[in-house]
Amino acid sequence: MVDFNLRIAGAAGQGVETMGELLTDTFAHLGLHVFTTQTYMSRIRGGLNWFDIRIADRELFSGREQTDLLVALRPEAVELLGKELAEGGRILFGGDAREGVIAIDFEGVAKELTGATVMANTVAAGAVVALLGYELAPLFARLEAIFLGKKGREVVEANVRCAQRGAELVAPHAGQLRAPEAGVGRPALQFTISGNEAIAYGLAAAGVKFVSAYPMTPSTGIFTMLARIHEEYGILVEQAEDEIAAINMAIGATYAGVPAVCTTSGGGFALMVEGVSLAGMLELPAVIVLGQRPGPATGLPTRTAQQDLRFALHAGHGEFPKALYAPGTPQQAFALARVALETAHKYQTPVIMLSDQFLADMRKNMAALDTTLRPIDRHIITDPSEDYLRYAVTESGVSPRALPGGPALVVMDSDEHTEDGHITEDLSARVRLQDKRSRKYDGMRAEALPPERYGPEDAKELLVCWGSTYGPCREAVDRLNSRGRGIAMLHFSQVWPISAQGGDGLRRATRVTCVEGNQTGQFAGMLKEAGLVRECALMTKYDGLPFTGEEIARRLA
Amino acid sequence: MTLGKPFFDMDIAWCPGCGDYSILRTLGKILDEMQLDRRKLVLVSGIGQAAKLPHYTRANVFNGLHGRALPAAVGIKLANHELEVVITSGDGDMYGEGGNHFIQNLRRNVGIKVFVHNNQVYGLTKGQASPTSDLGFVTPVQTEGVVSPPFNPLAIAVAEDCSFVARSFAGDPAHLGRMMRAALEHRGGFALLDILQPCVTFNKVNTYQWYRERVRPIDDSHDPSDRAKAFALALTWGDEIPIGLIYRSTRPSFESQQCALREGTLVGRHEVTGA
Repeated sequence: MVDFNLRIAGAAGQGVETMGELLTDTFAHLGLHVFTTQTYMSRIRGGLNWFDIRIADRELFSGREQTDLLVALRPEAVELLGKELAEGGRILFGGDAREGVIAIDFEGVAKELTGATVMANTVAAGAVVALLGYELAPLFARLEAIFLGKKGREVVEANVRCAQRGAELVAPHAGQLRAPEAGVGRPALQFTISGNEAIAYGLAAAGVKFVSAYPMTPSTGIFTMLARIHEEYGILVEQAEDEIAAINMAIGATYAGVPAVCTTSGGGFALMVEGVSLAGMLELPAVIVLGQRPGPATGLPTRTAQQDLRFALHAGHGEFPKALYAPGTPQQAFALARVALETAHKYQTPVIMLSDQFLADMRKNMAALDTTLRPIDRHIITDPSEDYLRYAVTESGVSPRALPGGPALVVMDSDEHTEDGHITEDLSARVRLQDKRSRKYDGMRAEALPPERYGPEDAKELLVCWGSTYGPCREAVDRLNSRGRGIAMLHFSQVWPISAQGGDGLRRATRVTCVEGNQTGQFAGMLKEAGLVRECALMTKYDGLPFTGEEIARRLA
Repeated sequence: MTLGKPFFDMDIAWCPGCGDYSILRTLGKILDEMQLDRRKLVLVSGIGQAAKLPHYTRANVFNGLHGRALPAAVGIKLANHELEVVITSGDGDMYGEGGNHFIQNLRRNVGIKVFVHNNQVYGLTKGQASPTSDLGFVTPVQTEGVVSPPFNPLAIAVAEDCSFVARSFAGDPAHLGRMMRAALEHRGGFALLDILQPCVTFNKVNTYQWYRERVRPIDDSHDPSDRAKAFALALTWGDEIPIGLIYRSTRPSFESQQCALREGTLVGRHEVTGA
């Protein structure tokens, strides 16, 4: 496999992300497999951010540590990231000539051609595509797709001239880099989506109708994407005054019968916790997307971590059923957004979906997802009798749910209540209702998603992971097996309740390593508590950066 | 047959003589007079003595968390704006714990009705100061008397151009009924009705007698669209306390500006397209 890593680095505000997305789309149209990650600082201007685009001739699941081509929009990028160049790698520098770099004054070229510097990054994009030896037509087509409707033909043509000029300027360096061959004859996977976008589309397609949130990295992208598509899907999107309002608004909306969701991160989720408990008591299907980031407190706002698993598991005073999902790829994120809503509605209880900055910003190309609106079953009864009891005690623990405004009155109380929903201090009723709520776990456990196993069936060594660590672990398995290691991966995309089937693979393994983006091995501890594993090595990481496949393979060696 | 029964006849946990009884009775009477379909009525509350009121009624009930009646009610109303959503809350619940929601929802202007039982004291926790306690009010916690000036919900509501701002007194059921009815009939958005409600157990200062000597119905000549005069009325407190409709604004409601609600209720949209 020819595997190429391109890194675009510049200050916040220099258009690093825009250029990254332009090239990602271009590579996808060239029939390549693309996987991108982002590393950025918590600031709007300045600093140094970078956008990695990894391309190959087969599907990718992880980022890479080293760079084959560094596009440096700032001199600091050369100094800081030049060290991470792979063997034979090159630096394309937007500035004056200096030793060891291919220097092109992107801004100067743009100014000369168009009279302004705004198209400097298009010059760079043209240079990149040419350096990698690809035809320019797909880049031109992307430029037309972006600018024709918004800015008109003249702007498209100016951009094309800039890209063309960038390509001409790197002609002397042609053939210096070895990039994967464009997918001749392979159907191009032109659909690209990020983790955050996939969550948003998954929720929208499953029929979410109400979104209340307070912006917080790294989940803000879900909120803004839902706002962008709200008209198409008929969603009411409201920015709440704080996360306490967000969760209580969502719970109110679910009471009235509308699938609702909140997006947040650790600190915001901390404020929502009383609301999580309320949803547990009222038995309402609140769904929260928790984009984890390194804590405690404000921590590293724009970096990645898997540190809030135990927090989410135990969030909410008292005892009540809850499900936790943790997708590992944009495809899983899209599918699990629906599953999260379905579980919440079927069992009338809060569900949390764990994400993080790595998954949020991870973008890859794939066969198009079906984003058609196909609303979930809300499990509503429409013909309750007049003596309807909201909390009728049932064997499954799930009481028939009616909506206010229908034939019966619907009474819900955060106090302990009797079956009719009214406040009570009858302690035997308390036990009956607590038992009823807890019984929902029987069904939820039986339906818990089994972990996905990847790798040889007979492998005795196992990497265990959850959430966004899916891709790096999967790549590590491939890397190690290509050297004859005999290792497989077990990935949990539902981390609570834990599927009993997880135990089968775990018991057969002779060596188990749990790979987690935290310091204490939170999931390993949960597996031990569940009696699914006895001995388990830990591979942890909590420096704010995601794992890579090569890193895991190296650390296991 | 729940709906055939009277609006309230339950075992009630309030102290004998509590101002809350008058609020409950008056609400029942007005709802009957208006012939409001109780199946379309949702009573929302947080925690406190006032927040127990929904349990003493036959209506849809959402009794949520302390201080959080407002966001829950907003969620309910936006999910189904054909429901009549009424909050019954106390001064601690609404102006203290829920203060930020109060400030922000005056701006948001969702068409919910907010009835605040304002007794200037914490009842359920036994007699501490509330945000509306007067200066010098002595309690088991504020042993040397309250030193922070009282929160003025009406002045803040007028300052934020709240669409309906009124005050009434639990000791004057006729006046209270008129104000409740006006609030329930208000169609422009958020309606705030602050109700002076004597607490006979924990507030020995602001008694029925104390309020009776001070409340003065606002003169018929007052134009509720005159914001400066409304603000002056809202600031009036002490020897004379004005009661009545203080302010009414004509700005559009939140719901009327949402494209997702243009074709009907959100919950209706789900029913059309889904299961």
